Amino acid sequence: MSETIRRMKDLPSTHLLGTGTPMCSGCGGLEALHQIYDVLGENTVFVNAAGCMTLLSVYPFTPFRGSWLYTAMGSAPAGAQGVRDALDILLQQGRLPPEDDLQVVVLTGDGSAYGMGMSATSGAMDRDLDFIYICYDNEGYGNTGQQYSSATPHGATTATSCGSRGYPGYKKDLFSVWSAHRPSYVATVIGSEPLDLAKKIEKARDMTGPRMIIALSPCPTGWDYDPKDSVDIGKLAVKTGVWPLKEYENGVVTHTRVPRDRPPVEEYLQRQGRFAHLFRPERNEELLAEIQDRVDHYWEEVV
Amino acid sequence: MASRVLGTALFRSGFTVQDAPKYGAERRGAPIFSTVRAARGASEGETINERGIIHRPDLVVVADDTLLAIPAAGTLQGIDPDTVVLVNSRESADTWRHRLNLQGELLILPAGSEVEDRADLPHIGATCAGAAACLLGVIEPEALTTAIDEELGPLGEEAVAENRENASAAFEAMIAHRGIVTEGAAVPAKDYEPPAWVELPVDDASIAAPDIRAAANSVQVRTGLWRTLRPVIDYDLCGKCWWVCSTFCPDSAIAVEGDKPVIDYDHCKGCMVCVGICPPHAIGSIPEYLAQQREQQTIEEGEADGTDPADR
Ligand SMILES: Cc1ncc(C[n+]2csc(CCOP(=O)(O)OP(=O)(O)O)c2C)c(N)n1
Ligand code: SF4
Ligand code: SF4
Ligand code: SF4
Ligand SMILES: [Mg+2]
Repeated sequence: MSETIRRMKDLPSTHLLGTGTPMCSGCGGLEALHQIYDVLGENTVFVNAAGCMTLLSVYPFTPFRGSWLYTAMGSAPAGAQGVRDALDILLQQGRLPPEDDLQVVVLTGDGSAYGMGMSATSGAMDRDLDFIYICYDNEGYGNTGQQYSSATPHGATTATSCGSRGYPGYKKDLFSVWSAHRPSYVATVIGSEPLDLAKKIEKARDMTGPRMIIALSPCPTGWDYDPKDSVDIGKLAVKTGVWPLKEYENGVVTHTRVPRDRPPVEEYLQRQGRFAHLFRPERNEELLAEIQDRVDHYWEEVV
Repeated sequence: MASRVLGTALFRSGFTVQDAPKYGAERRGAPIFSTVRAARGASEGETINERGIIHRPDLVVVADDTLLAIPAAGTLQGIDPDTVVLVNSRESADTWRHRLNLQGELLILPAGSEVEDRADLPHIGATCAGAAACLLGVIEPEALTTAIDEELGPLGEEAVAENRENASAAFEAMIAHRGIVTEGAAVPAKDYEPPAWVELPVDDASIAAPDIRAAANSVQVRTGLWRTLRPVIDYDLCGKCWWVCSTFCPDSAIAVEGDKPVIDYDHCKGCMVCVGICPPHAIGSIPEYLAQQREQQTIEEGEADGTDPADR
């Protein structure tokens, strides 16, 4: 794909990612991945840390059209380094024609990206590794039954934070942590905003160096809502200001969407069972206000 | 949940019990199953030494009949002519006996026809446990309801009451077959059938490593079987927008062919995302079982009047 994506009409209407995957029905992560794959194209090799998406390629089936490599949760970027080095050596020795070169793409969940894989990712950015990192962020350890991760939002119920106040910690600001390494590119995306996503992935595709993408991934199973609501919930995450769409380049952070007239965050929260305890048996005004204040504060700093 | 209720009911009836769920991947669409073993004579200190899956079950309860078509689910693994199979289904016992080519007893626990979407089936676990308790013939209704109180208490009174009601109704529905399940003879370890191993000679890594060269061959997996609701595009209403449905479908199951979006029913998982996001509301939904009944009718009518369904 080489034409530039400017309008909705430019988005692909046939898709590269194979059907028949074991992801849950209505998986927001899969929605983002299939949109991303359409833009990146077939000349990609995926390096995938343990998580829901490692089940995409369960022998003998794969939805990808190229190679895929499984790594331990903490070491996908290290795996990517090995693959990149091997490709570079083959290119150098003339054993791989330049047109057959592959884009190395790390694919991990938030458990890896925000937690276990941080050090390997930091090292890869230090070495200016030429790769794309895609974190599909479903805000917990989805594959093992949604235990909390450092991407879990404050107050959410997870398998390991089930009291009346939910998860006591705060979602780590991975965008800032990654940007502080000054890689080529960092962006947040979401499958429910496909045009914004496609433009960013296209930009990343045409750059070199570390290109880091975080895709918020509404997860019917882990967030406890009906699969049909995946897109609605994703759109609400953006509208209410919970998930800012932004990019980092050359030391500058730009918001690609500044939501005006943000509806209350409640509208996003009450659609998900993981926040039900904030509303029933009675409203937890204090916690709701705290969550809203944090979002308001974020946007006050932006504009 | 069903296995815990049944296990506790057996325990309350004086059995030594072992019940265990078996998890694979914890995601929607993944088959889940659980097992219950019971031995008479808890008071004599009878213990159960076996562990893991049951190789030769006396009773198999299938809560979702769509699982029967999925080989990986292994629903009927290890059954023999003495095994009783209970299927929660809208179809008849004859239909299933024929489809599965079963010699043993097959009973139907009628699936609620008022429930359009099987994924919404309320309290199916308790319903299955209630029916199973009756078929075993060794559990009194009181032990069943006590088990539900104990196991579901933390979910609140409302949940307990509904589950009690459903379990009792299922128990009653099976009353004509009470005690139909017979206890199979214990299978000594030495008599276990060895798994159907395939002997593989040691090959060079370049041959033996799992090396898939087929692109996107996951299309061979028919995830359309997961569907309980079916999205249907009304082409008179479809505005041929910028193919919103195709972009948003998480499963890449809608492609634009020529100038219209076409749903790939072999793979659509029935999430209903497309139904909600189509701008002119051109995508409706119908229960999958109704859609299949209609398809079947069309085929039969075609056979009756001699036309090929593809021509109509
Ligand atoms: C070092 C290590 N610890 C634990 C596991 C078990 N494990 C497999 S997947 C998973 C959850 C991963 O969470 P995340 O990265 O967010 O991906 P998701 O499952 O949400 O897609 C865990 C804990 C593992 N594979 N490796
Ligand atoms: S658990 Fe969540 S992220 Fe994992 S496959 Fe299911 S919907 Fe997707
Ligand atoms: S979203 Fe609706 S209008 Fe647009 S192509 Fe799909 S069916 Fe047609
Ligand atoms: S119901 Fe879900 S899986 Fe099926 S076509 Fe619509 S969006 Fe795709
Ligand atoms: Mg996760």
